[in-house]
Amino acid sequence: MTDTVERKALTREHLLDVYRTMRTIREFEERVHAEFATGDIPGFVHLYAGEEASAAGVCSNLDERDTIASTHRGHGHCIARGVDVVEMMAEIYGRKTGSCHGKGGSMHIADLSKGMLGANGIVGGGPPLICGTALAAKIKGTGGVSVAFFGDGGSNQGTTLESMNLASVWNLPAVFVAENNGYAETTSSTWSVASDNIADRAAGFGMPGVIVDGFDFFAVHEAAREAVARAREGGGPTLIEMKFTRYFGHFEGDQQTYRADEVARARAELDCLKRFADRVTETGELSVADLDAVDAEVATLIETAVEAAKAAPLPTEADLLTDVYVRY
Amino acid sequence: MGDAVVGVVANPLSGRDIRRLVTQASVFPTAEKANMIQRMLTAFGAVGVHRVLLSTDLGGISAAVFRAIGRRRGHEPRWPEVEFLDGQPIRQTAQDTVDAVRRMVTAGARVIVCLGGDGTARVAASAVGQVPLLALSTGTNNVFPAVREATVAGLAAGLIATGVVPTQGADGVTARAKLLEVRVGDRVETALVDVATSTERHVGARAVWDPATVTQLFCAFAEPDAIGLSAIAGQLMPVARNDPYGVTARLAPDAARQVLAPIAPGLVVPVGVRSIERIEAGPVHHVDARAGVIAVDGERELAFGPGEHPAVRLRADGPWCVDVAAVLAASARLGLLERVRQ
Repeated sequence: MTDTVERKALTREHLLDVYRTMRTIREFEERVHAEFATGDIPGFVHLYAGEEASAAGVCSNLDERDTIASTHRGHGHCIARGVDVVEMMAEIYGRKTGSCHGKGGSMHIADLSKGMLGANGIVGGGPPLICGTALAAKIKGTGGVSVAFFGDGGSNQGTTLESMNLASVWNLPAVFVAENNGYAETTSSTWSVASDNIADRAAGFGMPGVIVDGFDFFAVHEAAREAVARAREGGGPTLIEMKFTRYFGHFEGDQQTYRADEVARARAELDCLKRFADRVTETGELSVADLDAVDAEVATLIETAVEAAKAAPLPTEADLLTDVYVRY
Repeated sequence: MGDAVVGVVANPLSGRDIRRLVTQASVFPTAEKANMIQRMLTAFGAVGVHRVLLSTDLGGISAAVFRAIGRRRGHEPRWPEVEFLDGQPIRQTAQDTVDAVRRMVTAGARVIVCLGGDGTARVAASAVGQVPLLALSTGTNNVFPAVREATVAGLAAGLIATGVVPTQGADGVTARAKLLEVRVGDRVETALVDVATSTERHVGARAVWDPATVTQLFCAFAEPDAIGLSAIAGQLMPVARNDPYGVTARLAPDAARQVLAPIAPGLVVPVGVRSIERIEAGPVHHVDARAGVIAVDGERELAFGPGEHPAVRLRADGPWCVDVAAVLAASARLGLLERVRQ
């Protein structure tokens, strides 16, 4: 246990921020789900709905010194890290006003100014990146922490395992967040992950590994708070495994013949937004009116984002060779 | 098919929570849990258990045992028939343990072995009824479950299941544990070791590792060599498992009386104790705090608010627990493991 990092109770403002983040992710994803069906969105989208507590619980412990690397299912991480939602929607629509000028799309939304190293189409592509930023933070002494999100599929990739080894050997300020939603595309993690729990692998890399109920914001926030504090204080990396379910298919269009009714049960009984709202209103930390006000604000934001995206111009031929090379 | 039946329930999630991160608590691998069950199966087979009812899980324990049974076919010594309790939804919550134990009780298990920490034993105990419980440690905080070799525990459970040692009465090898009952409105939880009130607002990551958040403590027993919150009382006013009373304490970080206590694995901290006294079985004690969280056996479980006035009561009618040493001593006395070479 570390004593030098403040561990205050979450303030009212903090709780409102968290709820706004989770609600924004949910509305964003539900809307993209609906809009994708119209055929207006190019490429693939992988939706994060159901997993909001992970992105919000982890990122609410981070500050401007920190960096995260995301996955192909990256919208939630982007929003939780503060990437502009209107620009994100434009990016998904492939518009010039998008976060990456419409040339990246859903799987490549990045915003280095927000410490967001990018969604990533490469499964297991994020962990090596954060070893780099964590090493930089360590050498420069910025106090920054780097977080890699990856899935149960990503947990089996050599890149992820090598990164955990390297982070431990170099004692990097890193947190590895395995978002185990039960399926790597259509393959069950109970079959594909030989160690049964992803967190169990931490022992092999000399770091602590914990399992967290990924539907419970407060559980995620506490575990991430301790892992981030440990990393910031020079204690080295941690592996956190979130266990939960994604509400949509692997990608939009996935028929989901590999799973039964678990989504309906999760939405009804486990949903992170519902649990968060129930808890904070029971304790009196927030009122129903507070939450309704956030819901209304978020609904407007998402509507604005979709309208702006649809109205924005596409990149032109002249944009083809811009943003391709970088001068160091 | 005979009626010497043993139920075995194993928690795939025990030994995995935030205490690995905050207090360097031990990791209990799935493979070792499965190995323990296999060692028990050998012991069960050796003493004539007919059938074993085994919980199923998504954590890989039952799957590993299933594979081992396939590999073992035809080998000596024979393992008893193993029936996997599948066919009902696995929720990956404590309810799985409750469901499995209830099925074992209904199916006529004469003893139930549970693999987990204090949390798992607590949940299993709530469902065993009058069937003896043998709790083996594969968790984090292990005050209640025994840290014991599974082979020996398997012999003890097997000797009970086959009915050759008396479980109750003067020579009985089981003892009735106490338990603490907590009521918050219409919610009821039980604890086998301790109940604590915490100033935390949320159940969160469940474990309790910051002593400054604990304001009141009730212990069914408090051993001087315990790990966990009961260690606080264990150093100041020890209470044995078989004493008819318990102990309660009010805690405050600035209290004059301080005790160094191992309140979690890897955590030895000074705890301020404002008062400590004995509690008898029966009377209801309302907690002082108006709002907060109740932790049972070291894990935050029930959040409560103003007007709910949680009530704690020590009860003498907890689960019947197997005393492994007493079973094997009885076996020695009765010559149960002696054989004459033909």
